[in-house]
Amino acid sequence: MVESKQQWKAWLYLSPAIVLLLIFTVWPIINTVRMAFLNGYSGLAAVGGESFSFGIDNFKKVIEYKRFITCLKNTCVLCFVTVPLSTILALLVSVALNSIKPFQKVLQTIFFLPYVTNSIAIGMVFAAMFNIVGSAFGTPNQIIVTAGIVNNVIEFFGGTAVNWINSGSTHLANMTVMIIYIVWNALPFKILILLGGMQSINKQYYDAARVDGSTRRRIFARITVPLLSPMIAYVVITGFIGGFKEYTSIVGIFGADMGPAGAKGSMNTMVGFIYDALSSNSQGRASAAALILFGIILIATLINLWVSKKRVHY
Amino acid sequence: MADRVLMKEKNMEDVTAKSRVGVVVVKILTYVFLIIMAVIVLFPFYWMINSSLKTLEEYRWSVPSFWPQTVMFKNYLEAFTTASLGRLFVNTMIVGVVSTILSLIITVLSAFAFARLEFKGKNILFAGLLATMMIPGELFTITNYGTVTTFGWINTYTVLIVPFLVSVFYIYLLRQNFLQIPNELYLAAKVDGTSDLKYLWTVMIPLSLPTLISITILKMMGAWNSYIWPRLVANDEAHRLITNGLRNAFTATTGDVNYPVQMAAVALVSFPLFLVYIFLRKYIMKGVSRSGIKG
Amino acid sequence: MKVVLENLTKIFPSRNKKSNEEVVAVNNFSFEIPDGKLVGLLGPSGCGKSTTLYMICGLQKLSGGKIYFGEDDVTDLPPEHRGVGLVFQNYALYPHMTVKQNILYPLQNLKGADKLSKEEMLSRTEEVARLVQIDGLLDRKPSEMSGGQQQRVAIARALVKMPRVLLLDEPLSNLDARLRLQTREEIRRIQKETGITTVFVTHDQEEAMSISDIIVVMKKGIIQQIDEPQKVYDDPANLFVAKFLGTPPINVFEGEVKEGMLFLGDDPVMRVSSVADQPVWVGIRPEGFILDENGPLHCSLEGVEVMGRDVSVVSEHAASQNPVVRSIISAESHIDTASPVIRYSLKPNKVFLFHKETEERLL
Repeated sequence: MVESKQQWKAWLYLSPAIVLLLIFTVWPIINTVRMAFLNGYSGLAAVGGESFSFGIDNFKKVIEYKRFITCLKNTCVLCFVTVPLSTILALLVSVALNSIKPFQKVLQTIFFLPYVTNSIAIGMVFAAMFNIVGSAFGTPNQIIVTAGIVNNVIEFFGGTAVNWINSGSTHLANMTVMIIYIVWNALPFKILILLGGMQSINKQYYDAARVDGSTRRRIFARITVPLLSPMIAYVVITGFIGGFKEYTSIVGIFGADMGPAGAKGSMNTMVGFIYDALSSNSQGRASAAALILFGIILIATLINLWVSKKRVHY
Repeated sequence: MADRVLMKEKNMEDVTAKSRVGVVVVKILTYVFLIIMAVIVLFPFYWMINSSLKTLEEYRWSVPSFWPQTVMFKNYLEAFTTASLGRLFVNTMIVGVVSTILSLIITVLSAFAFARLEFKGKNILFAGLLATMMIPGELFTITNYGTVTTFGWINTYTVLIVPFLVSVFYIYLLRQNFLQIPNELYLAAKVDGTSDLKYLWTVMIPLSLPTLISITILKMMGAWNSYIWPRLVANDEAHRLITNGLRNAFTATTGDVNYPVQMAAVALVSFPLFLVYIFLRKYIMKGVSRSGIKG
Repeated sequence: MKVVLENLTKIFPSRNKKSNEEVVAVNNFSFEIPDGKLVGLLGPSGCGKSTTLYMICGLQKLSGGKIYFGEDDVTDLPPEHRGVGLVFQNYALYPHMTVKQNILYPLQNLKGADKLSKEEMLSRTEEVARLVQIDGLLDRKPSEMSGGQQQRVAIARALVKMPRVLLLDEPLSNLDARLRLQTREEIRRIQKETGITTVFVTHDQEEAMSISDIIVVMKKGIIQQIDEPQKVYDDPANLFVAKFLGTPPINVFEGEVKEGMLFLGDDPVMRVSSVADQPVWVGIRPEGFILDENGPLHCSLEGVEVMGRDVSVVSEHAASQNPVVRSIISAESHIDTASPVIRYSLKPNKVFLFHKETEERLL
């Protein structure tokens, strides 16, 4: 009765999910591996009846590409700079927020706001803030009309304007803009998780530490951080996973060209590389790159888990 | 003896006075830090609105104005028509609403099966589902692009809706929520002769409404913010979604572009999100803090 | 409606895949519940009493046996077609519905010929709410009510379908002591008023004793004794039943029958002519002791606890299986607390003898 009926009922309820997952999740996993190991596999050519030999040419080709190396480098730099930076900033903001009473809710609302934005749209705002209107930077016979609000601020404090993202800008300047934007974008989620974690720490620990006469710094280092370590590990791991998949925020600032005018593709990332290969109908190469990306994410996650296992106090 | 006690007390007073000053200083520094951070967070939004209301002339002033001299609401009108935002809004709403409803149905049924029914292979299947969450979405996209081409779905609403209907994470989230509802409620309903579906509809869904609302909002926001997949498979006038349309209408981000209009378009795309945020903040935060998935 | 349970058996497959051990939760349980009676299933946790209740209800499939309601074989009927009402230990009220909606809910599931009109449903709801005396609280949510009130709502919800059998799973265990007393009177009253055959499950012997017409004592899926409460107390079938009923618990001694005389240690306490010579377990109810300066039972006095009308005397005896020997005597009797030894004689009808191995009753 209650027990025996449940068998087919359960499968009935699960059927829509299972069918869709088989088509759009399970099959792609199998197929990606298949395509990655068929030398020079292309969807178009496959429809044309061409057959492909089994091998690792796709992986070789991907790694030999100079563009791929650029993408890998960009991705890694963005990842290894933005994740620690945003985590530390988020930790500071969370500790500060947790220590105040008045305006806590208002500030919390403000700090979460960037999460609820469209990263393409706000990327365009950031581009506008860094953009120089009126001239190619530095050519003396043209007049700079506005140097952009960021440069205005720099000049107000006595610095010199920087060509951030316009034609002729340096890679370093481009990266700096991306890092600022990505950190800005990554803060809200991390603050939400860390603050939530802090608020769930039993107040008695703090009272006990106060009675023992611990200083603020000691309380932070010996109580808050250890008790918060699962949350910190969580935001770092998700941060790395997200960081390796960075793509849309760069489209937001630089457009689909993935770089400043004259240096197309110089800011491209791993995900960008996969999509480029896909749109040029080289599914084999795209699959190989996707598997490499998956491998990198897996290794990074495992390292993170390994480190946090040693450090995290549950 | 009495003197020494007095000395000690005085010392204590000194210490407390000192620490009281310290506390105040720390409080002030904390607020200063938070306010600076808040300004940095809010500045892009302010600059977006400020720029969107300026004339192109004023925008180009070498010393920028922090409030528009002549307020140009006209920019918004121009943005709306340039990017044909109307059409994009409609497309996005269609995709968002349909995919949210279908996705909710699938999620609720699956979560119910995992939370309340007993069947062979349940645990293995559930673990298998969770395992797929580790794989980056890009890996699926490559094959799915081929699959939807074979199905002849390119440039349809279907292609924007169907491939993403099942979210393993939402199934997981809702299952956890369902599990918190005491099993006795289910048994009580069985004794009363309630069918599974009626029980789901009259008891479990009302009791997990907050989670369902969170899922709805995040799913809608997903449609609003999705970019990569729509650009790949539905980039025609009739089906283009808002983010993609925005990027297409204003391809240039640098150089001498009409920034006020562009910023007006950006603001128009952002406002609905702000409204949702203001009114449904609680649900968004709850959903996000449990998911960590954007969109 | 009488309820007949015939060779009821429930076997749970082993959870551990490697070992094939099965758990027999209910073993060959046969029992006829007379119409209109209140029956308590009593036993320690894990004795199979809840499983039995769930099988009567239809939520658990039987591994063997038959269940009849009256003359109808309901063994294979799903719960909704059995006409049973079930009250859960934690009440299982729907938290998002008002009291009224909660009580209406089972009625709204009725289909076909049983379907009721809106007015009928409402009048039934009000009627049953009056019966359990919550008619003023119909628009409240469960969270706005006390535990006792929630309990009444749960009973009302179970009764509103006019079930043939009412089942209660640990109905009082979530209430505080004072409410427990009040609610058990209430359950008794409602059962009397409606005359519905009622089965309830409890691990609390006091609760079972106070309201049941019949008590079924269970242990490890097997019935130990079925009888009226007072009979179960006065005439336990075995050592388990004797130990399980009564507060303070029965005092158990290791004893021996030698030539018709019962010895506790070296004390010859009672003549037992009908029992052959053998080692035995001896159970003595706390009220079975009489203070007697010349009594045969010698105990070393540990202390006296005053309980108002009575006093409880705590003492020790070498043959005692309990940590202390506890007797209850009238507060008026004089006890010399300075004396190291206290002597008792025994009331024969409060002394039970059990077989050393089988623990079955000998006398």
